[in-house]
Amino acid sequence: MNPTKTERRRIASSLVDATLTTGGMPEGIDYSPVAMMPDVRVMKIGGQSVMDRGRAALYPILDEVVAAKDKHKLLLCCGGGTRARHIYSVASDLELPTGVLAALGGYVPRQNARMLQMLLAKHGGLFILHDDFEKLPLYFRLGCIPIMTGMPPFGYWEKPSQGGRIPEHRTDAGVFLTAEALGVKRAIFVKDEDGLYTDDPKKNPKAERIHRITAKELIERDLPDLVVERVVLEYLARSTFCTELQIINGLEKGQLTRALEGEDVGTIITR
Amino acid sequence: MTKLVTGDGRTHIESALMRESLVDRRVVAKTDSEKEFAIMPDVVLVGIGGQSIFDRGKAAVLPVVDELRELRAARMTTKPGASKPPAMVLGVGGGTRVRHTVSVALDLGIPTGGVAQLVGAMEEANAVFLNALLAKHGSIVMQREHFWELPLYLESGMLPIVISIPPYHFWEPPPEDGPLPTHGSDFGLFIHAEVLGMKKLVFVKDEDGLYDRDPKRHEGAKLIPKITLSELLANMPDELIVDRQLFTSWQRARHVTEIQIVNGLVPGQLTKALAGEPVGTVIRRTA
Repeated sequence: MNPTKTERRRIASSLVDATLTTGGMPEGIDYSPVAMMPDVRVMKIGGQSVMDRGRAALYPILDEVVAAKDKHKLLLCCGGGTRARHIYSVASDLELPTGVLAALGGYVPRQNARMLQMLLAKHGGLFILHDDFEKLPLYFRLGCIPIMTGMPPFGYWEKPSQGGRIPEHRTDAGVFLTAEALGVKRAIFVKDEDGLYTDDPKKNPKAERIHRITAKELIERDLPDLVVERVVLEYLARSTFCTELQIINGLEKGQLTRALEGEDVGTIITR
Repeated sequence: MTKLVTGDGRTHIESALMRESLVDRRVVAKTDSEKEFAIMPDVVLVGIGGQSIFDRGKAAVLPVVDELRELRAARMTTKPGASKPPAMVLGVGGGTRVRHTVSVALDLGIPTGGVAQLVGAMEEANAVFLNALLAKHGSIVMQREHFWELPLYLESGMLPIVISIPPYHFWEPPPEDGPLPTHGSDFGLFIHAEVLGMKKLVFVKDEDGLYDRDPKRHEGAKLIPKITLSELLANMPDELIVDRQLFTSWQRARHVTEIQIVNGLVPGQLTKALAGEPVGTVIRRTA
């Protein structure tokens, strides 16, 4: 039998003849995506900004988490911090590729998530893996506080970075993408500053806090440094569900609670 | 000895990136390098098409299986002076079942990340098909978490079949255009090769290579025998035989220098490609 004369065995569907590499909306499909769990509060606990400060910073934040847990569905995602920086530094020195850095960098937020789990265990803290994501409805129904790494699961499959080797998708990106996957409108980032300022507030006392800014304005400012990972701003411009990031100061008592109530504390970055 | 640094309320480990913002371009630039370490440079990644090969059934699949078997036997030979093909890592595409999955999922309103979560299952089925046919010639379907066992399989002369779809799953970044996930199996195999420092990928499809238009729809489509990545990006065909994302990421890659697309329906093309012959389409990263 001549294989060139053998037809591809195809399943009839609206995409049977489509070139899936073309992009755009496939013809004949009326697409209206479903938000899976829009009422979950997806929040990131900063690595360097919170975890590395230890008990003094973290305990009051966890008190607010515990106080809110019966009112809201809370999904905690962890940042890395100084140990992740140490890993990236050593791995870069060894000339290892970005994908390996991403896989190695993933160990630290996982440790932080496990620490949070131990501290929150008696309140229903539950360490979960990416593979447990589909069980979130069960965990929430049981009144648990699922805790996971902020890193997206890309690992070795992380793309090479532009102009350096540090993976572009780290814990900010992972938290944003978690919110987007769940259909959540706003991702909350618990850090150690009251959001975003016109200049570095630690150096310039006249620096003013920015209450609200669009991702586009932020990108146009072309700052060498930014409050969140660059890819997050890029994705924010084209996301379906997650259209706002809220950066709050976890060191200010009550800010997290107000943010969980939907108040515009800190800085809101919108599309 | 490494120092712990305190004093600003946080505990830092001394390192070149200590206290730094990893978002700062100036900091990131310090980690740039042109001499990145290549982990397994002499291995070639071979991707076998889903629609193009597997969906055609026996008539197309068995000759490819035969060729893989022969290539492996040639590699294992102890005959002195025999030229040996390179070690191979295999990957497979999902084919028409992926299209059906996406079509149903979009109609149901499954979000992009959800679609990305679903599609990998269909290619895993093709990996099992291939493994069933090649098992007695040393193939093995590798689980993702067995990533670092690759040297074990290759050193012992096995034919590892890796999961092609990258583990982006629910975390698929929002696509630039439309709802379809853009990090597909061709991209996944590319990035697999790149992170391991491989120099070459071969995609086995059912056309003689890359054309300026889809040759299945356009009579006069022209084959592109040889092209550089920049030439291709400057004049990108609308209909591509491999994922667009692959080419975008390739621009930043440091290891993969060549991607060859060959016709799996023509016996011997894969073997020639592995021997370095310019069959099909050869895309080079630089001229």
